[in-house]
Amino acid sequence: MLKGSFHLTNADNGAMTETTLLTVQRTEVLVAAQAYCTYVSKTWKILTFILALPGVGVCMANAFLKMKAHSHEQPEFVPYTHLRIRTKKFPWGDGNHTLFHNPHTNPLPDGYESSHH
Amino acid sequence: MAHQAHAYHMVDPSPWPLTGAISALLMTSGLATWWHYKTTTLLFLGTTLLLLTMFQWWRDIIRESTFQGHHSTPVQKGLRYGMVLFITSEVFFFIGFFWAFYHSSLAPAIELGGLWPPTGITPLDPFEVPLLNTAVLLASGVTVTWAHHTIMEGARKPALQSLTLTVLLGLYFTALQAMEYYEAPFTLADGVYGCTFFVATGFHGLHVIIGTTFLMVCLLRHTHYHFTSNHHFGFEAGAWYWHFVDVVWLFLYISIYWWGS
Repeated sequence: MLKGSFHLTNADNGAMTETTLLTVQRTEVLVAAQAYCTYVSKTWKILTFILALPGVGVCMANAFLKMKAHSHEQPEFVPYTHLRIRTKKFPWGDGNHTLFHNPHTNPLPDGYESSHH
Repeated sequence: MAHQAHAYHMVDPSPWPLTGAISALLMTSGLATWWHYKTTTLLFLGTTLLLLTMFQWWRDIIRESTFQGHHSTPVQKGLRYGMVLFITSEVFFFIGFFWAFYHSSLAPAIELGGLWPPTGITPLDPFEVPLLNTAVLLASGVTVTWAHHTIMEGARKPALQSLTLTVLLGLYFTALQAMEYYEAPFTLADGVYGCTFFVATGFHGLHVIIGTTFLMVCLLRHTHYHFTSNHHFGFEAGAWYWHFVDVVWLFLYISIYWWGS
């Protein structure tokens, strides 16, 4: 950051040369631009900690409470033909389980694997 | 000694485009041999070669720009056009999957019960984890903007803080989505609902992982003083990509999670 005062006059007759004046003006613009940059990034910092992250926190709490309020039972199994399609075996395991298979929530084509939790 | 009489970058000969093309061939044929003959050799080779190509090609670009100074203003302008065009192509990629979703859900087939979600499908509650995921990505959009301004300002510590926060939020999203994938009562094999859901959100998740990796590389580079306050296009490209990922999620959330439930 720029500190201190500027010596505006040149040595000979005390008047400002055009070069000195332009240098001063450019410096003032840079100082102002730097201050603006700091202002804008502070604004986004405030938005982050006052709006964005608390918003995430609220949604975390909401999701947690809603999950706890869920019933934990398995939905009844109906062997619909339009679901649990097995046109071709999966290229892993026994070919009958999806990649993110969850024995509690994902029944196989003929029913749940574990009948109790 | 000869000097170039223009501001453009005539790149030195490089093997990485060839290795990239070979890895594309190995990965595609590898997928076919995996699915039909249960062998993963080609796929494994192709993936390894892809990772090596990406690492070395992008490392070379960093060497050419940050260390050798080849990225003049016109060169940077070309890179900006390139990134914009690439992201545009990705937008069209996702448009295809949204087309498939709306085609299937606006006039549900009789085999599904003539309704959407289809009979027997329990959709995820859009106001549980999906809403949290939306908040996480929106927050990461705020933090990445904060990061950009701190980089422009030349403020090192806030830049590292905000970039790290952005990466953490991205990782949190991926973790939440992986948990959702495991807990979901429907799977990829559950007809057109499962297919449109997991293909669209799955490709989005892949893009989140790519975007997070991009931002992690930016964070690493920033710790090594690669970025200046007025030349940090690597970061800007990463931030643009991240905003794109966020916007795609918003469309996914509104269409598939909310309207589609």
